[in-house]
Amino acid sequence: MSNKNLFLKSGFLRAPLQNGVGRYVCQLQRIVLKFCKSNGSSRGIRDYIEQDLVEFAEQNPGVVVYLKPRRHRAPIVVGEYLNGDRVWMSMHNKTHSEITKWIEVLRTQQGDVAATRLRKYQSTDHPSIQGPWTPFTFKLPELNTATLPNVKYGENNRLAPSATEQLRRLFEKQKLDEKDLKTAE
Amino acid sequence: MAMIRAGLQKIATAFTGGQGGILSRFVSNLIPRENTAVNTQKDVIATCNKLVEERASRNFAIVHLLGKQWRVTDGDLVVVEGYWPPNIGDKIKFDKVLLAATKDFSLIGRPLVQPGLVTVIATVISKGLSHTRVHFKKKRRKQFMRINFQRAEQTILRINSVEIANKINEAPKNVF
Repeated sequence: MSNKNLFLKSGFLRAPLQNGVGRYVCQLQRIVLKFCKSNGSSRGIRDYIEQDLVEFAEQNPGVVVYLKPRRHRAPIVVGEYLNGDRVWMSMHNKTHSEITKWIEVLRTQQGDVAATRLRKYQSTDHPSIQGPWTPFTFKLPELNTATLPNVKYGENNRLAPSATEQLRRLFEKQKLDEKDLKTAE
Repeated sequence: MAMIRAGLQKIATAFTGGQGGILSRFVSNLIPRENTAVNTQKDVIATCNKLVEERASRNFAIVHLLGKQWRVTDGDLVVVEGYWPPNIGDKIKFDKVLLAATKDFSLIGRPLVQPGLVTVIATVISKGLSHTRVHFKKKRRKQFMRINFQRAEQTILRINSVEIANKINEAPKNVF
């Protein structure tokens, strides 16, 4: 299944309000835990509220925590973020430890990050600092002042000598050798 | 052979012929004029140090992070996938810097730039899960079909600074 066919938003990597430049701000602003006081499906979230919630609130003074008991309804958790995102998560029949982990995910993410497929895993405002490559990059600056056509730069030394050329050279060499040859005369 | 030569010569004349040809314009625009004074090694290093001191241009570095290499500069965002312990708000210094450079020069590590020369600092700004990826496999006419759903942990990093210390060519201190 290709990404094209999925009903999923795609986007580029962003951080709300230049977060992390200068200082870091926790993006989770409000978390609402809705649960039932008697129903078995809320067992895990009741355990979490009894054991860990106060500590969570103490450690995250920037996060507003709401509890909303409601009779005979499945438990859910809703997180609201600085960039306006709202993440709804069902906690139906989840255990205490699972809920701890999911709430940690809600706390640490910067919005509804799972709702978009990232097209790039890096984003930069300065894609090139030394400039893009051109054919003249890393070439000798001598070329600037040289008068062309020039034997040095125009020389064709890229092609290997052809078979005819090689034979000709051999022949010339042989002729030279014959000249040096001393005879008995 | 002769034909090839003739062809090459034709191309060459097209480039160089007329009012300096096509090439000369590019050459004169893009490449600095030939430097007649020969810089010694010391001069080059002194110049680089001066450029660093003046903060003449933006720095960038190539850092090695969890098996991947990233080209980073100030203000970049980077996503690290998979389990990674650092938590939100943590500041991280990258030790494995493979290359550091400004607009005018590059320091290339063999394989790493010496410790203490380049400081790359990042902040963890988000730790979440990716979108749900569907792994769907089907073999035709073989009664085989599998579907798996997977979400990876994604950590977003903000690069705060890439700084080159003003001590190129100083003896390295063995930090590690």
